[in-house]
Amino acid sequence: MKLFAKYYRVNLVITIVVLLFTGMVYYWAITQILTGQEDKDLVVEEREVFDYVRTNHRLPQVFESKDQQISFIPVSSPVKREFITTYFYNAKEKENEWGRGLVSNIIVNGQNYKILVVESSVETNDLIQIIFGITIAVILVLLLVLFVANRLILARIWQPFYGILQQVKAFNVSEKTEITPQTTDIEEFKDLNNAVAGMSARVKGEYNELKAFTENASHELLTPIAIINSKLDTLIQTEDFNERQSALLNDVYTSVSRLTRLNQSMLLLSRIENQIISGHEPVNLKWLITEKVAQLQELYADKEIKLTMHLEEKEIQASRYLMEILLNNLLVNAIKHNIPQGHIDITLGEKDLIVKNTGIDKDLSGDDIFKRFSKSAGSEGTGLGLTISAQICGNYGFVLGYRFKSPFHYLVVTF
Amino acid sequence: MKLLVVEDEAGLRDSIRDYFTEAGNVCETVDDYQAALQKINIYRYDCIILDITLPSGNGLDILKSLKQNRYPDAVLIISAKNALDDRLQGLDLGADDYLSKPFHLSELRARVTAIIRRKSFDGNHIVVFNEVQLDLLAKSVSVNDQPVKFTKREYDLLLYFIANKGKVVTKNAIAEHLWGDSIDAANSFDFIYSHIKNIRKKLMEAGSRDYIHASYGMGYKFSDQ
Repeated sequence: MKLFAKYYRVNLVITIVVLLFTGMVYYWAITQILTGQEDKDLVVEEREVFDYVRTNHRLPQVFESKDQQISFIPVSSPVKREFITTYFYNAKEKENEWGRGLVSNIIVNGQNYKILVVESSVETNDLIQIIFGITIAVILVLLLVLFVANRLILARIWQPFYGILQQVKAFNVSEKTEITPQTTDIEEFKDLNNAVAGMSARVKGEYNELKAFTENASHELLTPIAIINSKLDTLIQTEDFNERQSALLNDVYTSVSRLTRLNQSMLLLSRIENQIISGHEPVNLKWLITEKVAQLQELYADKEIKLTMHLEEKEIQASRYLMEILLNNLLVNAIKHNIPQGHIDITLGEKDLIVKNTGIDKDLSGDDIFKRFSKSAGSEGTGLGLTISAQICGNYGFVLGYRFKSPFHYLVVTF
Repeated sequence: MKLLVVEDEAGLRDSIRDYFTEAGNVCETVDDYQAALQKINIYRYDCIILDITLPSGNGLDILKSLKQNRYPDAVLIISAKNALDDRLQGLDLGADDYLSKPFHLSELRARVTAIIRRKSFDGNHIVVFNEVQLDLLAKSVSVNDQPVKFTKREYDLLLYFIANKGKVVTKNAIAEHLWGDSIDAANSFDFIYSHIKNIRKKLMEAGSRDYIHASYGMGYKFSDQ
C-alpha cells in the first residue's frame, strides 16, 4: 500500500468519525433547544388555561389555533403532568403529523379534567433537517477539499522522494553516473538525499578499489606465472626424466596453463568492465563466424560434433577484438559442454545470433550461468567465459540470454 | 642470430637467454632502461626482445629511439599489460610483433625466427631443414624437391617445429600456438597427436627421415639427432 493511500485511509476514517460525532452532538443540542422552546410555548398555554379557570371558574372555549390544539377530557382521578411527543391529527392541515404535547390536570367545580395541549413540531423538524442537511453538505465539501488539497500538496511535497527513489533504482555500481541531489527544502528529504548520495559514493569507491585490486592482483600475478612458465620450458629441455617425473611435469604444465588462462580472463573482464577496451568499427559477423568456425574445426570434429550454420549478412558497429572474443567464448562454450556426436547450430539473423547446442539434459536457467566462476562440475574452464560474453554484450547494448528446450541449450545475443 | 633481451625480471631474462643460446646464436641481456639505450646505440641486433614495463623507464621510448636513429633492428615487445592500446601503440611505433606475458619460450622463439626471416634482405623465403623445404610465400612443403601436400595447420605446425628445432615443445604450447584462446574447448590435447602423426607420415612417405620424436608424453622434439 502506498504511503498516500495509507495516510488517506487513516485520515478519512478519523475525519468521518469526528464529524459524525460532532454531527450527532450538534443534532442532539439543536433538538434539545428547539424542543425546550416548544415546551415553553406549551407551558404558556397551560398557564393561560389555569388563569382563565381561576377567574371564570369554568373551562375556556376550545378554539382552533394555527398550530396548537387544546382539549379537555373529564377524568375520574387526577392525571400526572408530563411532556409527550405524539402523533396527532392536525385538523387544519388535514393530516397526521408529529407534535409535542403537554398533559396536565385541572379541577373545575370539583371535576377533574385532563388538559392536552399539542403543538405541531413539523416546522421544528424541518428546521432541524435543514440545519442537519447544511451541516452534512459542509462536511462533504470539507472532505473533498481536504482530499484534493492533500493530493496536490502531498504529490508536490513527495516529488524529491520519488526523484531519489528513481535514481536509487537506476543505480548501478559499475556505471559512471552519480546520484545527483534533488533540490528540496524539507529536512527529511535533505537527509535522505545526503545519505543516499554518500552511500552510493562509498559503494562506488569500494567497488572501484576492489576492481583495481583485482586488476592489480591479476597483473602482479602475470610476471611470476611467466617465470614459472619459462622455467618449466627450460626444465624440460634438460631431458632426463623418468615416467613418473614427466607425469608430474605434465600436471604442473596443465595447472600453470589453467592459471594463465584464468588470470588473463580476469584481466580481460576487468578491462571490459572498465570499458578500457572499446571501439566502434564495422564488423561483418557472418564473415567472422565463418572464420571462427573454420578455426575451431578440429576441436569439434574431435568430439564428432555436427555443426550447422544459417547465416544472413549482418554488420554491427563494435570492436572487432571484442566481437572475436564474444564469438570465441560462445562457440567454445557450445563445444566444451557438448556431448560426443552432439549437434551445434548457429543462426545469424538481422535481430539476433542464436547458438544452440546439445549437452547435459538439464535446464540451467536457475544456475546463474552468467555469474563469475559459475561452472559445471568437473569443468576445467575458467568459469569466466560467459561472464565476459555477457559483459561485452552489455557494453554494446546487446542482450545475452539463455534458455533450454530439450535437447538444446540456447544462447541468444539480441542486437 | 644476435639477440638482445631487455627484461628486468631476472628469472624470465635467464630463461630466455638459456633457450636462445646455442651454436650460432648470441644472446645478450640487459635489465634496465639506461643499459638498454647504451647497448642499442653501440651494437646492432637481429632482434631485440623488449619488455616495455621497465622500472627505470618505458620500453616504448627505447623503441622510439631506435626508430629515430633509423636502426634496422627488429623489435618484439613482451609485456604483462596485454592491453590492446599498448599493443597497437607498440606496433604503430614500428615494433615487429607483440607477445603478452606469460608465454611459452617456444612461442617466443617461433615469433623471433619469423621476424628475422621477414627482415632478412636477401628475399629468402625458403626455410630448409636437411631434405625438407618450406616455401613461406606459397606456404607449401617439399621433400627432396618433391611437393608434399600439407594442410594449413600441418604447415603451421611444421614451421613451428623447425623454428624450435632441437627443443622439446610441449603439447600445451603447440595447442596454444595453433588455436589460441579457443583451445579452452578441447578436453584434452590428444587430437594434436593425430596432426603429428599425419605430418610424420607425409614426410616419411615423401622420403624424409623421421625428425619428430615424442618426448616423455609431455611434447615433441624436432631434431635430426
